[in-house]
Amino acid sequence: MKKICALFLMFSLIACATNPNGTKMKASDEESKLEVYNRAMFNFNYQVDKKVLKPIAKGYKAITTQGIRNRVTNFFNNLEEPASAINNLLQGKFADSGQSVARFAVNTTLGLLGTFDVASGWGLDKKQNSFDATMAKYCVPDGPFFVVPILGPATPRYLVGWGADAIADPMDWALFDKQDEDWAVIATYGSTALKYINKRAENMALLDSLEEGSVDFYATIKSAFLQNRQKFQSICAAPVEDSASAASYDFDFEDEED
Amino acid sequence: MKKLCGFLFAVSLLFSFKAVAIDSGQAESFIKKVTNEGIEQIVNSDVSMAEKDARFEKLFNEYFDLNYIGKFVLGRYWKTSSEKQRAEFINVYCDFNTKTWSKRFDEFKGKSFNFVGTTPSSSEGQIFVNTTVNMDQGEPAKVVWRVKDDGSLKIVDIIIENVSLAITARNEYTAYIKQAPNGVDDLIKDLKQKSK
Repeated sequence: MKKICALFLMFSLIACATNPNGTKMKASDEESKLEVYNRAMFNFNYQVDKKVLKPIAKGYKAITTQGIRNRVTNFFNNLEEPASAINNLLQGKFADSGQSVARFAVNTTLGLLGTFDVASGWGLDKKQNSFDATMAKYCVPDGPFFVVPILGPATPRYLVGWGADAIADPMDWALFDKQDEDWAVIATYGSTALKYINKRAENMALLDSLEEGSVDFYATIKSAFLQNRQKFQSICAAPVEDSASAASYDFDFEDEED
Repeated sequence: MKKLCGFLFAVSLLFSFKAVAIDSGQAESFIKKVTNEGIEQIVNSDVSMAEKDARFEKLFNEYFDLNYIGKFVLGRYWKTSSEKQRAEFINVYCDFNTKTWSKRFDEFKGKSFNFVGTTPSSSEGQIFVNTTVNMDQGEPAKVVWRVKDDGSLKIVDIIIENVSLAITARNEYTAYIKQAPNGVDDLIKDLKQKSK
């Protein structure tokens, strides 16, 4: 079910990214229309977060210890290893791909379903990668910033990448032929809910301090999200070892235009 | 005449070199000093919150070039602002940052910065000092300090996980001013309110 949703979202996004009439609108018109939508959707998400997700995450934080939350974070991080392995492979990082596979094998077994990161202790550091980065590597354009209902800030490439990586989630594959059974459905939706509640709880202090320190929260989140994506710019068609040669955050302080 | 031109050229070269060259070792030592002071004398110390805020304000004014940052974050609106608005903005921007950062810095309690080299900047007389902070969970956080040398060393930007605080503030403030009925004055008013 999750896979179908992800696929649907991917295709609808690709459709959204292209103008159905084939006519060219002025870029600034499109931008300002998108900005109006983005701010409205951001406010909607903000209200949902304030009234539903944040209170649940607060409750979750109250009944769990940091140790438990660390186990939960590790469990979901481990489920991302197969996607990392595939994307490392697609980007020609063969050693990293092997390491992701080894990490998944070690942590799923000895690390008790990934809840403990045994592999890092053995020197097998995390080699996280994503389909978003793979597309960036092959110079797929990022597209405009837009806010997705519930999910939050995104770009078309980010969202397609997110959907593609979700397809590689081993938990979905493990439960794939058991979708008629109630426990499997509960496990699928329950784990997704737990993943996002845990993530929200772990980011509580950061998001609170960001909101407190801003006069336009939407502009802050948009800026931070897009700056974080600048790191992908330098990897387009560049040899892997050159990817970190230029600082993405270097800019001219004398520049007066925004 | 030729001699005078030669002399002037030599002097200008000397000055331009002074502006271009920034010693990576010195910049790193400077950031070590700032972070040590920040963590040992403020975050880890057992003093009252008011005393912490006061110490933080001193550190902020001493080691950050707030005029330079303030001018940058107003973007194109710096040019169109009056002298009074500029002065008021810089003033309130300092207060606001002192307040938010003295709280944020508390998150570094019990932690230390690892120094992992420097990266050159395309801007003259500036350099990036790269540090990492070991977090309780997951990968270490990447914190980069942008240092400017124009006689004395000053911090002009902090980049946390690729996100520049100066760029974020500029994007935020220019977006705010664009929407506000009274432009910069509204921003100043709002920042004053939040600094209380």
